[in-house]
Amino acid sequence: MKFSKLIFACAIGFAVAAGIFLALQMKQPALPSSATVLQNPNPVPAFELVDQRGAPVDETVFEGQWDLVFFGFTHCPDICPTTLQVLAAAQSALREQGVSPLPRIVLVSVDPERDTPEVLNEYVDYFGEGNLGITGPLEGIRGLTQALGIYFSKQDSDDGNYLVDHSAAVLLIDPEARFSALFSGPHVVGDYVHDLPILMGAR
Amino acid sequence: MRIAIVIAALCLAACGAPQAPVVASDVEITPPLPGRPMSAGYLVLTNNTDADVRITRVASPQFGVVEIHETTIEDGIARMRELDELLVPARGSVTLERGGKHLMLMRPEGIGDSVLLQFFSDGAPLIEFEYRYGDN
Repeated sequence: MKFSKLIFACAIGFAVAAGIFLALQMKQPALPSSATVLQNPNPVPAFELVDQRGAPVDETVFEGQWDLVFFGFTHCPDICPTTLQVLAAAQSALREQGVSPLPRIVLVSVDPERDTPEVLNEYVDYFGEGNLGITGPLEGIRGLTQALGIYFSKQDSDDGNYLVDHSAAVLLIDPEARFSALFSGPHVVGDYVHDLPILMGAR
Repeated sequence: MRIAIVIAALCLAACGAPQAPVVASDVEITPPLPGRPMSAGYLVLTNNTDADVRITRVASPQFGVVEIHETTIEDGIARMRELDELLVPARGSVTLERGGKHLMLMRPEGIGDSVLLQFFSDGAPLIEFEYRYGDN
């Protein structure tokens, strides 16, 4: 009898230890695998541009929801549509997982000369509903990008089919319009699906 | 489509002749998007010969201009440049993929269901095949 009691006590002890171990494991905060988190979120600077419907937008357009912001242009056949497709796929995977609210996808044009609101409107709609396109005067775009550490440079071309070099990063802007994390790429759907709930839940 | 319809390759295979010198596979051409007068083409070109093959021109009746481009990302900056030629090494292959080398198809001349792509080496036709949008 004493032996069986000892076994019972050991089993209880083991179960308690295992429980404590698991509880400690669960208390470990999940960390983003790909995104770089800014220790001090950087407020989006004041700007005056237009959205894809031609309506004026300023920095307050980033208030009230999470935004995934990419800087590209519609005449970019490879990296821009590929990145926007990754963001759209991540958004729909998160929707299927019941994540709410979902981040909005924002394209800021680095080629406002060709990316008029009309052009941008059709383009951002192609990648899903509720996306935001931002364009406007070049100086306005430059003010916004420089403050956020985004580079772009128009390349000369003989035939007018010029290209624009640009930062490949996607920025995460929090609902208080602060640049809070950075996905530097290469952009992979799984990274966003893993990191976004952690990043958006952390605040 | 997994294996592109390379007319010459099929003919040679049917006749029991040796493999086509250069074969295209894993072809995907993105349809021109609204408001964006261009597409990107992705594929693998395999060289079955003992000599390097240089693709110096790509054309399509469905596009005014087809160029060979390469996207590179260095220090976080995405850059795209036109390449003068595409080298398909002897007994090797070259992959045109997202974020890397790719075809840039500009000035679509009416958007149909399919695209005919023609590859040239120093002015001589090398291979051509038809791609149907959505086949990949």
